[in-house]
Amino acid sequence: MPTLIIDGQEVHAQEGQTVLEAARDAGIDIPTLCYHPLLETQGSCRICTVEVIRRGRSTLQTACTYPAWDGLEIRTHSPSVIKTRQTIIGLLLSRCPDVPIIQDLGREYGVTEPLFPPEKPDEKCILCGLCVRTCHELVKADAINFSQRGIERRVGPPFLETTDQCIGCGACTIVCPTGAIDIVLEQSAVYDAKPLGPTSAIHVPSLQAVPRVPVIDTDACIRFRQAALSNGEITDACGVCQTLCEANAIDFTQQDTMVELDIGTIVVATGFAMWDPASLSQYAYGQSPNIITGLEFERLSNAGGPTGGEILLANGEKPKRVAIIHCVGSRDHNAHPYCSRICCMYALKQAHLVRDKTGADVYQFYMDMRAFGKGYEEFYERVQGEGVFMVRGKGAEVEVRPNGELRVKGENANLGIVISVDVDMVVLASAIESQPDADRVASLFGLSRSEDGFFAEAHPKLRPVETNTEGVFLAGVAQGPKDVPDTVAHAGAAASMALSLLDKGEVTISPTVSTVLTRFCTGCGKCIPVCPYTAISLGEDGKSVINAALCKGCGTCAAACPSDAIQPLHFTDDQLVGQIVGVLYE
Amino acid sequence: MAEDSRRSIIVSCIHDRAPQLMPALQAEIDRRGLAANVDLVDAGCRGLCSVGPVVLIQPENIFYASVGVEDIPELVDKTLVGAGIVERLSYHPPESHEAVCFYRDTPFYSKQLRHVMRDCGIIDPWSIDDYIAAGGYRALGTVLTRMTPEEVIGEVKKSGLRGRGGAGFSTGSKWEHTRHADGEPKYVIANGDEGDPGAFMNRSLMEGDPHSILEGMAIGAYAIGAHDGYIYVRDEYPLAVRNLAHAIEQAVEYGLLGEEILGTDFSFDLHIVRGAGAFVCGESSALMQSVEGKVGEPRPKHFHATERGLWDLPTALNNVETWANIPMIINHGADWFASFGTEGSTGTKTFCLAGSIKNSGLVEVPLGTTLREIIFDIGGGIPDGREFKAVQTGGPSGGCIPASLVDLPVDYDSLSEAGSMMGSGGLIVMNDRTCMVDLARYFLDFLKEESCGKCTPCREGIRRMLQILTDITEGRATMADLDKLETVAETVQVASLCGLGKSAPNPVLSTLRYFRDEYEAHIVDHKCPAGACKALIEYHIIAENCTGCGVCRRRCPQNAISGERKEPHVIDPTLCIKCGICRDVCKFDAVDVR
Repeated sequence: MPTLIIDGQEVHAQEGQTVLEAARDAGIDIPTLCYHPLLETQGSCRICTVEVIRRGRSTLQTACTYPAWDGLEIRTHSPSVIKTRQTIIGLLLSRCPDVPIIQDLGREYGVTEPLFPPEKPDEKCILCGLCVRTCHELVKADAINFSQRGIERRVGPPFLETTDQCIGCGACTIVCPTGAIDIVLEQSAVYDAKPLGPTSAIHVPSLQAVPRVPVIDTDACIRFRQAALSNGEITDACGVCQTLCEANAIDFTQQDTMVELDIGTIVVATGFAMWDPASLSQYAYGQSPNIITGLEFERLSNAGGPTGGEILLANGEKPKRVAIIHCVGSRDHNAHPYCSRICCMYALKQAHLVRDKTGADVYQFYMDMRAFGKGYEEFYERVQGEGVFMVRGKGAEVEVRPNGELRVKGENANLGIVISVDVDMVVLASAIESQPDADRVASLFGLSRSEDGFFAEAHPKLRPVETNTEGVFLAGVAQGPKDVPDTVAHAGAAASMALSLLDKGEVTISPTVSTVLTRFCTGCGKCIPVCPYTAISLGEDGKSVINAALCKGCGTCAAACPSDAIQPLHFTDDQLVGQIVGVLYE
Repeated sequence: MAEDSRRSIIVSCIHDRAPQLMPALQAEIDRRGLAANVDLVDAGCRGLCSVGPVVLIQPENIFYASVGVEDIPELVDKTLVGAGIVERLSYHPPESHEAVCFYRDTPFYSKQLRHVMRDCGIIDPWSIDDYIAAGGYRALGTVLTRMTPEEVIGEVKKSGLRGRGGAGFSTGSKWEHTRHADGEPKYVIANGDEGDPGAFMNRSLMEGDPHSILEGMAIGAYAIGAHDGYIYVRDEYPLAVRNLAHAIEQAVEYGLLGEEILGTDFSFDLHIVRGAGAFVCGESSALMQSVEGKVGEPRPKHFHATERGLWDLPTALNNVETWANIPMIINHGADWFASFGTEGSTGTKTFCLAGSIKNSGLVEVPLGTTLREIIFDIGGGIPDGREFKAVQTGGPSGGCIPASLVDLPVDYDSLSEAGSMMGSGGLIVMNDRTCMVDLARYFLDFLKEESCGKCTPCREGIRRMLQILTDITEGRATMADLDKLETVAETVQVASLCGLGKSAPNPVLSTLRYFRDEYEAHIVDHKCPAGACKALIEYHIIAENCTGCGVCRRRCPQNAISGERKEPHVIDPTLCIKCGICRDVCKFDAVDVR
């Protein structure tokens, strides 16, 4: 292990380390600009210059490139080093007078004024080449490089023209220490349309995610994108997360897998989908980035969101007037006739947040205020007291004016007049609806759905979590709109029902189930699709088999069977005929 | 002279009149029926550029200068058919007006020691037979059949040969380190990327005697254990590229390169890499980057190229002139070689004499020869009766040596002590009309485009030094700027990434060292003592000297001069653009600069 002396301190370096790495490991600070631990060193900014004394000879060398050889003596702050760094900072400051990182270095080294009058005062690029190396070494796109020579040197794509090589990953903007690179997305409308922006390629899906581990969004990840763009030629792009992950937990080869489990009971808690307000054009959703849904507002006001929890317009300014429109898609025969139940209360909460965080005027357009739960009415009163304008009457139309401002028109039913309010943000309390694939889930589990599209419970009053399929229970909004407390209560009930079954270990079923007389069964399969409980399948012998645990003895299959091979136990044809004969005999 | 004796007529130069010379001579020789007895040789450069094209007739060594097509019939008639000399075409040294008829009597040549350039301008570079006839490839044969690699290295070390590219590292030691370094394969490279303004020694060598480089490289490759070599030539030297490529082809054909050379088990392949003409590619690490196919930018080199060079493998990189010295050392022995030059700098060195000098051209002298001998004895001194002021050695990376040090011996150590460097051998001579600030500005102006721009001190430092120097030459600078200039120069010198940057301030620092008063005159008095910086000078006519001849009036492009015939003229300073034509044309020294 090489041992060197850095600023009088004995430092043991790892084999192959540079002086900079050895010094930093020992807690000794050396300034750098063009160095990045993940990129090949280049030694071009020269700010990490240190005095190296080797075999009695003193020279100035860059710490980022100089090998930490045994027996070296390094002085990181000797007078000649300081003087050199001062001149370099003075030269850089003359090039880029307005770059904070250079100004900070200047303050540290007592260079507060540029050494020479700056030629281009808004120049930001110090030509450190971090962007070029990132694009080459990590992204492997080679979209930018240096061009020209000497004092004309600059960074850019070939011929400084837009290039297809650039995949718009933005990695160069992240490594740039001076903020000299702007990224202009060609399809920027995708991001501009909503103020919520894209998330990082690696993120935890939600703060409540279980298990709470990050996932890689392969549509955004540089490695996966490069592999896709190059048709599989470039498979080793980036990988920075893998290099940095100390737990060695990143595996790019991981794929989604199908897991097969034997289970006793099932709780269907598939939740809901947000209804898309763009389908009703009067709300102008999608026409302005400042018209957002209630869920998007939740993301905006979340501390983990794109603005860090600040409620801002798309242009980054605070809103001054906000309209919240209730019943968007709910209680509306053009969309959903039912009440989504959660909107009134979250709209009140959001009004409270807007008042609290921005002080903006808030207009609540509502038809009826359904503050039904415990403490809800009190909260409603409190929000009223906070100076929120309550407009009883449905917000009928949102207009995006030519200057980009928003105008909400609606009826004030209490006053019997039509009103119109100019605002700069509109929150649409849009409806919740059943999941788009609810029909597939229903047929899989033999569930029925009520008129509103949500799964039907076995009995609306007496069996609110059970379904007609034994062992399958419903929890939460999958069954119908619910707010959080109701969902928790409903889910608790479903869980306890499921547990009581599991605890028993066996299921008592009604003896009246159908049975297949295999002698007569031709294996035509007509019974399978008609079974509402998916209890019938074809067995190995090619004949129908009935799962007695699922069968409810409804007899549909018996009626459908062309060869009379299915008989409901205790209600066989013979028994029924016998009963009829008995009755008539008397 | 007997009629039947065989003659050679050797034409040198690629002077702009030279291309017509060869066919005209051939036609004349044919017409006179002399073809059977006369060899016409299209040879490389012979160095005396100021009187090119030159023609040498052997075996008598009759030397003709500034030969034109119209001179050919007389030349053939008198010298080839008859036995006389066309005195009109003989060389007339600038200092005397007597004709010098024979090559060996020419002062320009008689005071030189042409070892490296021994065959340049004598043999046909297109013919390997010419080279072999002149003793070529004998050294390679000796080495491959009678010497071990260690013996070769020992001999080169003993000779004291130091790198002719400028840094002056011991060639033998370099080879030894490369041979003993870990890593296979090993490489040899010849640096032919001569880029300094006013330097053309390497070019003349590559064009005029390419085989000497090939032979040296083959010997070096044998010594260090390499089987591949590269010659890096800038593409602005198309003739050098062509001649080297042809030489390689011929050598391969003759079994002197390629597989199993001369029937031994040593194989060596040579490749030409054409550089795109970046000055920085003469720097070793940038050159190797370029050979590797990367952008020609220097890389940090904490490991010597002998350990990690081309593709990070052990590499012996030498200047083409260094390689061309090798065959001589083998043929004549290390002691013979070391008997020339000084103790620390053995052998001879080629220099390009340019600038304000009578015999501009290519010279070769033993190291340790004084500047006075080179400039005055060989170069013939300063033309037009001007005074010798300084000489820039080593191109833009070198420094300026003042007239007071004219007796300085030219060797590696003396030059560095004087704040300059050997460089590849450019000598730009300046007279009293050269402004030293303007000179430094000129070199930085060159470097601002030739710096690769990779590292901050070099890129930003050169830009700012140039800015200050421009300010000084235009009368805008203050004494504080002079301090700033020194501060920046010192930082660029110590903190730059490569040799180009580290030596870039040399023109500034050396002129500051020897001509500080000139800088101060610009700043404090707003005067340019040499009368070169236009913003600070004014032309006027000294009435006592002016004869009223009117030459200046007629030549003035701005009509700024007026005066009656035979009366003193005057210059209107508001019209004058300070082009200096009046001063150049005045025969009576009547035009003065203030």
